[in-house]
Amino acid sequence: MDIVWITFAAALAVGLPALATAWAQSRIGPAVAASLAEKPELSTTAILLLAIPETMAILGFVVAVLIMLRSGG
Amino acid sequence: MIAPMARVRLMGPRDLLTGTLHVIQDAGVLHLTPSTPVASLHPVRLGPREARLLTRLKAMHQDLSTVLEASGVPPPISAPVGGSAASATELARWARTGQRLRRELEQLGATRRRLEDERAELVRFEQFGAAFQRLRSGVATTAVLHSYQLVLRAGDRHAAESLRQGLAAVLGEHFVLETATLDSGETAALLLVPPAEQARVERILVGAGIHELSIPASLGPTDPANVGAALASRRRAVDTELAELESRRAEIRREHGPDLRQAVMAVADQRLELVARQQAVESRLSFVLEGWVPVRLVGAIRDALQHSDLGETVVLEEVAREEWSAEDAPVVLQNPRLFRPFEVITAMMPLPRYGSIDPTPFVAVFFPMFFGLILGDVGYGLVLAGISALLHWRSRSGSTLRAVARVGGACAAFAIGFGLLFGEFLGDLGRRWFGMPHPLLDREESLLPFLALTVAIGTVHVTLGLVLGIVNAVRGHPRQALGRGLALLMLAGIGVVLLAATRVLPEAFFTPAVIVLLVLFPVLVVIEGIIAPIELLSTISNILSYARIMALGTASVMMAVVANQLVGALGGAVIGVVFGLLFHMVNFALGVFAPTIHGLRLHYVEFFGKFYSPGGMRYAPFTHWRPNHPTAT
Repeated sequence: MDIVWITFAAALAVGLPALATAWAQSRIGPAVAASLAEKPELSTTAILLLAIPETMAILGFVVAVLIMLRSGG
Repeated sequence: MIAPMARVRLMGPRDLLTGTLHVIQDAGVLHLTPSTPVASLHPVRLGPREARLLTRLKAMHQDLSTVLEASGVPPPISAPVGGSAASATELARWARTGQRLRRELEQLGATRRRLEDERAELVRFEQFGAAFQRLRSGVATTAVLHSYQLVLRAGDRHAAESLRQGLAAVLGEHFVLETATLDSGETAALLLVPPAEQARVERILVGAGIHELSIPASLGPTDPANVGAALASRRRAVDTELAELESRRAEIRREHGPDLRQAVMAVADQRLELVARQQAVESRLSFVLEGWVPVRLVGAIRDALQHSDLGETVVLEEVAREEWSAEDAPVVLQNPRLFRPFEVITAMMPLPRYGSIDPTPFVAVFFPMFFGLILGDVGYGLVLAGISALLHWRSRSGSTLRAVARVGGACAAFAIGFGLLFGEFLGDLGRRWFGMPHPLLDREESLLPFLALTVAIGTVHVTLGLVLGIVNAVRGHPRQALGRGLALLMLAGIGVVLLAATRVLPEAFFTPAVIVLLVLFPVLVVIEGIIAPIELLSTISNILSYARIMALGTASVMMAVVANQLVGALGGAVIGVVFGLLFHMVNFALGVFAPTIHGLRLHYVEFFGKFYSPGGMRYAPFTHWRPNHPTAT
């Protein structure tokens, strides 16, 4: 039974930040696209703005890995 | 690094200003700047005649550029060194030719657009005509029925059905409706109704917004029986007219091409010279012109003046360093050949300020390293090396594509290197086929050591950024430099505390490190303000952000392993191999895209944020016109 909860916890650890990242990027994406239509020279800033929320998903992944490893999964 | 610049001043007799401008335009290395006015010297103002000439040259340049584009003459690459000054007679002739050809080409363009529209309409009518003919042949019509040839718009799939239902509601079964969909997406609908129902049917058609196919206006009043012949004849006429227009364009290209290319260069050059003239200051007898030039090229201007007929008359002197501010100097990035391609990554950000640090050499080391750590596979690295070699072969020397190819080559080399250290060739195939060892670590199994490695690399990278920040700030902002130094010390203290707490370091280090942190913290707040603790936390999160290298690297190797497992998992061996290869291709695409984006992000956000000082002015020397010259548009 424990393995179910551990796996569930790991899934939550990566799933929730991934959803948060998706939500953040869904708000940033249209704004960035609109900005690029007027100022194409902002493409570097656009990449940065889109890449910033990904940290949440990546750190979530790391936490999930730690949960799995620490519990011997 | 940022090339050291010199501010130079040219002085000479006033009547030699034009000659001097020609010489420095040929040399093409001096970035002109408004000269400092002093009591006896005032900025050069163009006289009414020169101001009129400048306006005329602008109009001429627009005319000539339009003519070049409309006639299909390729733009000149650059003006010949030695000047291309034109006489007043030549300018007048070019102005007349430019105006005349522009008017003619605009008329030709308008006529061509009209003829192409007409041709498209004729083709459309022809397609509808053929469709209606097919529909008629399939209907057992009688002469007593009235027929409508209807056009149903593209994109409305239910239009025909709606029309059928509308007609059935009014006429019952007393109508025939046959439809055919054309390539354009429009539908040709042939409707046959009793003559007595015409009025009611037309009301339905008007209500539904459906039109009958009308004969193109260009055919004029035509007997419906002769429409086919009239259509073919008109199409031939339109094609002939279009061919004549193209022939006239080619004639203009042939007759005026070389002259137009020379004209556009000469006109643009003369215009640039008049604009440059206004940067000078002058007195009744002399002029002074100032500008920036990389220190290593000061000799080039001096030589150009010496070898011209200006001889010793025009004097060049370097302005003393104390007399100019670094903020005014333009920026030239000047890196060793090995690092130069990585300037494309730095150039995606605003240029660094003059006097600050150019991060290109650091980018050249860390960017391919991060890329290699994430991709870390000999097989993928070899494919990337092949693509980079192909790009290198197909690109021009000095182009952005060539730089991208070289960056790709460096990334491929690191990917192959780390692939050997991780023992990976297309995932676990290397181990299974050749028994490849993994001298550094096995990314499939050793997740925690890989995480520790990436965080350690992050610590080195961010610390380097902080050190560069201190170096940048130490001259102009010593207090800021001190603050950053303290932050660095606190970061080291936090590292020691964590390592001692996890018993990587002896526990004896724990208490002294905590005491050091407690002492440094208030000092940091006093020096940097209340924002300092937040920045410290942000620096720690910056270091943790390098964990993405481990996350993406693990994902990359796992995807490759899954691709290999598909070979055995899917029915036949051939299907498995095909799917496995497809999966590897997808993984390779992701494996190139993700490290690029995340490598850039780690540099721009985590690394540059610690020291980068943007806002530098681009070095734009006064030179001959070339296409896309910023000052010629």
